Amino acid sequence: MADRMHASSTRRILTIAFREFRHTVVTKGFIFGALVMPVVMLMAIAAIGTLVGMQMAPVTGTLMVIDESGTVAAFAAEELAPEQVAKEMQEKLKRNPALKNWGGSDLANQATANLPAVDVKVESVQDATRVDELRAKVQDGSLLGLAIVTPEILSADPKDAEGNDLTYTLIVPKWSAPRLTGMLEKSIAKAIVKARVKRVGTDYTSLQSLLSVPETSVRRMSADGSEAEENAVAKTLLPMGFMALLWIATFTSGNYLLTTTIEEKSSKVMEVLLSAVSPTELLCGKIIGYALVSLVMLGMYGALGIAGLVSAAMGDLVSPGLLLMMLVYFVMAYVFVSTMMASVGSAVNDLREAQSLITPAMLVLTLPMMLWLPISEQPNGWIATIFSFIPPVIPFVMVLRITASSEPIATWQVVLSLVWGFAWVGVFIWAGAKIFRVGVLMQGKPPTPRELLKWIRMA
Amino acid sequence: MTTSAVSLRSVWKRFGKTEAVRGIDLDVPDGSLTGFIGPNGAGKSTTIRMIMSIIHPDEGSVQVLGANAIAAKDRIGYLPEERGLYRRMRVREFLKFMATLKGLPASGLDARVNAWLERVQLTEAAKKRCQELSKGQQQKIQFVASVIHDPELIILDEPFSGLDPVNARLINRLIRDLHDAGRTIIFSTHVMHQAEQLCDRIILINRGQKILDASMPEIHARFDPRTVQVEPSSHDPAEAGRLGGLPGVERAQWNPERHAAELTIARDFDPQDVMRAAIALMPVRTVELRKTTLDDVFVELVGEDMPSSEESGNG
Repeated sequence: MADRMHASSTRRILTIAFREFRHTVVTKGFIFGALVMPVVMLMAIAAIGTLVGMQMAPVTGTLMVIDESGTVAAFAAEELAPEQVAKEMQEKLKRNPALKNWGGSDLANQATANLPAVDVKVESVQDATRVDELRAKVQDGSLLGLAIVTPEILSADPKDAEGNDLTYTLIVPKWSAPRLTGMLEKSIAKAIVKARVKRVGTDYTSLQSLLSVPETSVRRMSADGSEAEENAVAKTLLPMGFMALLWIATFTSGNYLLTTTIEEKSSKVMEVLLSAVSPTELLCGKIIGYALVSLVMLGMYGALGIAGLVSAAMGDLVSPGLLLMMLVYFVMAYVFVSTMMASVGSAVNDLREAQSLITPAMLVLTLPMMLWLPISEQPNGWIATIFSFIPPVIPFVMVLRITASSEPIATWQVVLSLVWGFAWVGVFIWAGAKIFRVGVLMQGKPPTPRELLKWIRMA
Repeated sequence: MTTSAVSLRSVWKRFGKTEAVRGIDLDVPDGSLTGFIGPNGAGKSTTIRMIMSIIHPDEGSVQVLGANAIAAKDRIGYLPEERGLYRRMRVREFLKFMATLKGLPASGLDARVNAWLERVQLTEAAKKRCQELSKGQQQKIQFVASVIHDPELIILDEPFSGLDPVNARLINRLIRDLHDAGRTIIFSTHVMHQAEQLCDRIILINRGQKILDASMPEIHARFDPRTVQVEPSSHDPAEAGRLGGLPGVERAQWNPERHAAELTIARDFDPQDVMRAAIALMPVRTVELRKTTLDDVFVELVGEDMPSSEESGNG
């Protein structure tokens, strides 16, 4: 007889878990889809900017302005000066709240360095009858564009008889790139405004200073009276980010669990496995194996996210306590999703049959996504509180609340959600194991939800 | 005293309203090569699944290798009727995985896999993915997976189905070798001549009940041969009619392949008298009392009682 060890239940479960983990993570599909693809996408996004810069030809030529007043051209020339174009771009990037913390100035400098060379000469004619001659020049490419500015648009009240804003006309050649057209369009529009301001005898720079909208520094006061600066964008996106992370990690593994269970059933390897392990051991092994797959994804994407926050000087938004809570709720979310997926996978013969059983559960699980805004806005509101105790959305809602709330969530609610949630985890494992045990040996027509309930009672 | 490797007592199994196994009592002697035979849907696979503790009986007890079925799982090798492999797994890895699940330590596994692959003439397949193998090769790998942990009890459900004659002969030899090495083997099939050729004991199950449980010699003794085959010198089929008129002949049928008449003898007549009467009636080339085959026994016991296809469900 063979030198046989006693194959304990734990050993069998771990053997299955290791096989599932290894045959999921060490595959081209996983490495490409979960590891390489995101890196490639980031690189592609970075490369697009450079490629666009490389693609952009230098902007050189003449812009003709038909303007009886003769004032617009000079202002347009100011706006189209290379240093002014670069300055505009920098200001715009620096003001972007999403980029502000990620070294907006550096990004702005980098972006403007990639801008194409701009050398636009602006000329003006006051004789409106030359329009056809100048149009011909636009058509043959001698001009970058032709702007027709009427005297009325420069008046203090530039409206037509019906009270609508007056427009000016910009004629560009057929080859004009949208980016160049946009640049000319904005420059002339701004030049018209400057000309108007000059006509009423006001200094444009002073007026611009007066009209500049101040930026807000929001400081949220906590219960103890201390204040802390709030990054509104990060505060809104962070909860969504954490919940999405939980979703990606649990549902990717859940899907693997569903498809491999169906595959084992359809390829008839299930009965071979069941000759060596019990259905419960098989279920446990699979759940543990895919939990490790989930943890790899959670760790990888989580680390990337945290690195991003730290690089944006927002590392303080993620505390070790928060990460621990995230991990605990991940376990809860994973067991909810994985037991559902495994039991459905065991009960059906193919993915098409699985869809009809899994759809109702998926609808319930998308609730936190739909409720993201009300829960983020009011993390302690009644909607958030009620959904914190409805399985299986408990972990998703709690992660949203904990990351969205400026104040800690009431301890009793956190404790109750954990106790209540893990009690339901027990129910899901119990029911899932019963369905799995009956389902893996069933062939033929897939069960109805009512039959699944019967399986739970009979197994 | 012979001990039992498998012992079932009043075992019942129902699936909804269908009674798949109805109060079966049986013993598989230690070291025997026992054939489980029966028509499709008779309850063979359900009984085997209960022995393997894949499913559990509703009533009754199942003892395997002196323990309950779950405790004995590592000491049993099982080749199910519906076979499968992990398609993308490599052969060596799959066999090691199955051996580990059955409790073999990691050390020495490679050598054991190599030895078995050599025995089934698939040494070159070790690094291949299972999906790259032919159907016959896959079946041999599945056979190896069921015996690689050197089990005391081996259950083979239709092990020859889909195999070409060469591979069938190879598996046949391996089964005999395992039996000679003292392993208890349960061999389920509905191909009677295979069971007759391999088994020393037969258990016939029909409609969820055991209707025969005996050794091959007992079966031959119990089921008298009742067919006499007469080959007339003339090879004339019309002679069957004349032979049918002999006393004690219930039915006479011409067998064109053998150029002979097959006479079914009535229960209360001695076949020897019929043979003598046939020789006296006409010039004959051969007269033979045909040996009872398992096929004959099966037809006699199951016969008209074969379940319809609608009733055939869980093996």
